[in-house]
Amino acid sequence: MFGISNRLASGKSRIGRVLVGFMVLGFLCLFVAGLAAAWAMRENQRHTDSVAHTYEVEVALDRVSVLVERGETTRRGFLLTGNQVYRDNYDRYTRDLPPAMARVTTLTSDNPRQRANVADLRTRLSDLLALRTRSFAMIDAGRRSAALIAFAEEASSQRLLGIRARMSAMLGEERRLLAIRDIDQRRSLQLFYTVLSIAGAILLVVAIVSLLTILRYTRDLASSRDQLNRLNGTLEEQVAERTADLSRANEEIQRFAYIVSHDLRSPLVNVMGFTAELDSATVPLGELIDRVEERAPDLLTNDMRLAAREDLPEAIKFIRTSTQKMDRLINAILKLSREGRRVIAPEPLDIAAIADTAIAAMRQVIDDRGATVTVERPMPTLNSDRFAVEQILSNLVENATKYLQPGRPGRITVSATRMRERVVIAVADNGRGIDPRDHQRIFDLFRRSGAQDQPGEGIGLAHVRALAYRLGGTIDVASRLGEGATFRLNLPATFQNSQDSNA
Amino acid sequence: MNQHQAVGIVMIEDDEGHARLIEKNIRRAGIMNDIRHFTDGTTALDYLFEAPEGPAKNGPALILLDLNLPDMSGTDILSRIKADNSPLRRAPVVVLTTTDDKVEIQRCYDLGCNVYITKPVDYENFAQAIRQLGLFLTVIQVPDVETVG
Repeated sequence: MFGISNRLASGKSRIGRVLVGFMVLGFLCLFVAGLAAAWAMRENQRHTDSVAHTYEVEVALDRVSVLVERGETTRRGFLLTGNQVYRDNYDRYTRDLPPAMARVTTLTSDNPRQRANVADLRTRLSDLLALRTRSFAMIDAGRRSAALIAFAEEASSQRLLGIRARMSAMLGEERRLLAIRDIDQRRSLQLFYTVLSIAGAILLVVAIVSLLTILRYTRDLASSRDQLNRLNGTLEEQVAERTADLSRANEEIQRFAYIVSHDLRSPLVNVMGFTAELDSATVPLGELIDRVEERAPDLLTNDMRLAAREDLPEAIKFIRTSTQKMDRLINAILKLSREGRRVIAPEPLDIAAIADTAIAAMRQVIDDRGATVTVERPMPTLNSDRFAVEQILSNLVENATKYLQPGRPGRITVSATRMRERVVIAVADNGRGIDPRDHQRIFDLFRRSGAQDQPGEGIGLAHVRALAYRLGGTIDVASRLGEGATFRLNLPATFQNSQDSNA
Repeated sequence: MNQHQAVGIVMIEDDEGHARLIEKNIRRAGIMNDIRHFTDGTTALDYLFEAPEGPAKNGPALILLDLNLPDMSGTDILSRIKADNSPLRRAPVVVLTTTDDKVEIQRCYDLGCNVYITKPVDYENFAQAIRQLGLFLTVIQVPDVETVG
């Protein structure tokens, strides 16, 4: 499960970085696309302006052309007819010509070529106008025929052609510029579209990659969640399996202990039996030695006397005490294994009453040792096995009265508190205490601590611990040498029968 | 007492030492009946049911039975002896064993065992128990064996 959460966490930060990176890239693309659009707009505007300019120039040139042509037409009409209407019209056209020309000049002032054209045009026009003014002056002077002759000589149509050519050259120049600008415009449009499509493509890629990343992350998340759910589902099963394994192992050990201790007893019966036979055989043997000593002392050696009177009884005595001890040890193992196989019968218990009963049962011993035992009330209720709790309490109290500090009357307190779903029963004494190094050891079978000045085999606390485990509890001790000891039995407030399903 | 002399004692006990101690103490109690000792279940059953001089063919017997045998469980022998069609079903069986498991004791009585004695490891108690058994043996009546069909 740790693996999953770690992978998720690292995946999350990695994916987060990737996503942020792509977002930045996407925004950059948008920015560039915006810049390109603005630039393209400006280019377009400039092109539009230039197109408009070209047409303006065309219109201005047309105007000049029209004025020049009309001026010529009205001059010729006046020359031929002398009609005043032509003269008036001619004056109007001639008056309008300079502003029209000025407009052309203004419009084309930015182009050196056009400026040259304009200058040339102006020269030609002023020549033309000078001729015209002269022919009008001749008519005004009454020399009409002379004016006509001058007109015929002046080749005004040639001059007009020249002016027309110049003006069309100017138009051509404008058109050429427009064409160049068209090409520029197309190029910038092309650039704009290129930039736009590249930005679009990058955006598309960013979008797809981001989407895929998110999708993958979501899928990972979903699969992790499924795995977690699966694990959750099988967790109880696994716990049950492990518990069953443990129970089986425990049962195996119990059975082993039972068989071993049982089979050890059989040879022990023989050892003890024949030792007793041997012992009883030493009695007649001793009598024989006594009688021989009395009647024929010379038959006896010192070795014989020693063997019959000392060595033999001594050997038998040691064999006996050893086998008796072995018998007690084997019985202890048997008792433990039998305890482990006992079916636990939980019932509501009054801990104080049980403690009182246990104390009453060993009242004599407690008084002999000069100790006082106090049971603190009130005590929480406990739902557990009566026999086991009784055994534990009487063992703990018995131990507390057993190992007193010399010269200090024993004071033992039994108390109990409820802590959530557990009940902690404490047996505290002011006895000789236990070296912290031995706090674990004392719960092991056949192990004891401190001065070995009290009878015992090191069985009581092992028995207590086995019982505590059997009740689903634990036991520990807090103590320092010379400062008493407190044994704390921690039991579930209500015994959970987890082992009975397979016990 | 003469009547009892005829009753053979069949001891099924795999431990030679135990057998010897039991025999010694029975003799000390003044029981002089013939004691046949078997160390495994197979030969013991063969003697009990098949041997021409065995109890099934020949007459009353008292059986001392140990439960922990190498080749079969003592309870198997007990159930064979106490089976409905067994000629020996009325023969008294004294289970004399190291097992003091309550369940095992109950099972033996259920199967028809007449006396169940746990061998005390302490020899004084052991010897006393056997001698008391010997005294008991001097007063109990053992029925004759039914002749087979």
